Amino acid sequence: MRIALVTTYPPGKGSLNEYAYHFVRALRAKPEVSEVVLLADELPAGEVYSDEPATDGVAALRIVPCWRFDGIGNPLGIVQTVRREKPDAVFFNIQFATFGGSKIPATLGLLTPLLLKLSGYRTVVLLHNIMETVDLQSAGYAGNRLVEWLMRAIGAVVTWLVLQADLVALTIPKYVEILRAKYRAENVLLAPHGSFDDEMEEPSFDLPDGPKQIMAFGKFGTYKKVEEMIEAVQLLIQRGSEPLEVVVAGTDSPNAAGYLAGVEEHYAHLDNLRFTGYVAEEDVPRIFQEAAVAVFPYTSTTGSSGVLHQAGDYGKAVVLPKIGDFAEVISEEGYTGEFFTPGDVESLADAIERILANSDYRKEMGMRNFHASRGLPIADVVDWYLIHLEGLPSR
Amino acid sequence: MNVKPSVLADGSIGLLALEGRFDAYEESQVRSWLDAEQAAGRSHLIIDLSGVNFIDSTALAALVRGMKLTREAEGDLLLCALRQPVRVIFELTRLDRVFPIFSDVDEAARHFDRSTATA
Repeated sequence: MRIALVTTYPPGKGSLNEYAYHFVRALRAKPEVSEVVLLADELPAGEVYSDEPATDGVAALRIVPCWRFDGIGNPLGIVQTVRREKPDAVFFNIQFATFGGSKIPATLGLLTPLLLKLSGYRTVVLLHNIMETVDLQSAGYAGNRLVEWLMRAIGAVVTWLVLQADLVALTIPKYVEILRAKYRAENVLLAPHGSFDDEMEEPSFDLPDGPKQIMAFGKFGTYKKVEEMIEAVQLLIQRGSEPLEVVVAGTDSPNAAGYLAGVEEHYAHLDNLRFTGYVAEEDVPRIFQEAAVAVFPYTSTTGSSGVLHQAGDYGKAVVLPKIGDFAEVISEEGYTGEFFTPGDVESLADAIERILANSDYRKEMGMRNFHASRGLPIADVVDWYLIHLEGLPSR
Repeated sequence: MNVKPSVLADGSIGLLALEGRFDAYEESQVRSWLDAEQAAGRSHLIIDLSGVNFIDSTALAALVRGMKLTREAEGDLLLCALRQPVRVIFELTRLDRVFPIFSDVDEAARHFDRSTATA
């Protein structure tokens, strides 16, 4: 079976690139898959994707850049590429802003599953968020209530279009229930997010010498903002805590170019603040392992958090915002953490402090999160997709 | 979780009856049974879920793996007697459309009889 996957992919830096990396790794290892063709976004000048030949038990990987973030020709480019490649099925690894930060390119890109289905291809969409649960104002997509209402109306239409795919998989049960109830969508299903490392040894809870690192990982500037975390750590130092270092690991969100540079300039006077910039895949383990606490400085959520699963993979204690989605992830997937109220620096400082104050508690939380993350390797999740795919009629 | 393995139809069908919570902490028992059945050359398998009151994604993954293994060996893994909380999870994941599900063990066993007769 030849599978095409529309996605971002490393070294591309678009959202969901890390999920795609691990999903593809698992997909290529399945005996029923003979080739994976990635329909990825175009890279900046000077960067190239690397194709990988088939090896023993691992399918070939070919990467065809055929769309770009904020491009209005993306549906055409993807459809033409699929027609040329003639895969047995097309998967999408997307969220609502995958194809653009502006409304028109983002919406046009989300028409692609429908266009491919109409062209006779089996289409399966892994949708990482839904419009119904996105706080548009906090996410930076709307300036006032009228615009927000209008965006939700447009979002409903776009959601309906995405639901025209053969199958739409979501990672949170509530999302499935919402789409089934609101759109009467029978083709929506729950598929677990999955953990990224299939064979992982029990993590070490030892920390490096030097200041304890309070780390946030991701793409920042829209609904992930680091100012409160920085302020909270400074508050802890004022309270007389042991030496601490704030580590901001990642880059600007594509929708918030320049955000981190502004933060760095604003806090230039602090000597315990470090910005790593883009974290290459091979550096991800070290970044997590060195952190004493992983903080999720989110003002809203737009889906199940890949970062939370990574934190679990590395046995990290986590500090999470009191926002519905995260509470659900905690309760349904077995994670645990300390919670803070978004917008309340003192609350965030208290949450971090509760973990730092008790090393046994930090390790126990890390171990519980590790077991939660080990629940279902992404290789098993891929099996679910392939089994569902087999149930779809060939066209 | 209690696990009761047995065989039906002169040893050609493997049956596993489960009772209790079927989750990440318990699924290894089912995986071990699947491996043992595969080693014994049995690819017609039934899992009786009538005693299961909770199932999580890891347990579902174990069942999916079992289904793949049996189908690769030209057999199948049938499920039977799903209680309502378990059926809800199967519906949420659409795995109710993937697994053959029967009301009880006898009906599942008859399905194997019919498919063997028509093969």
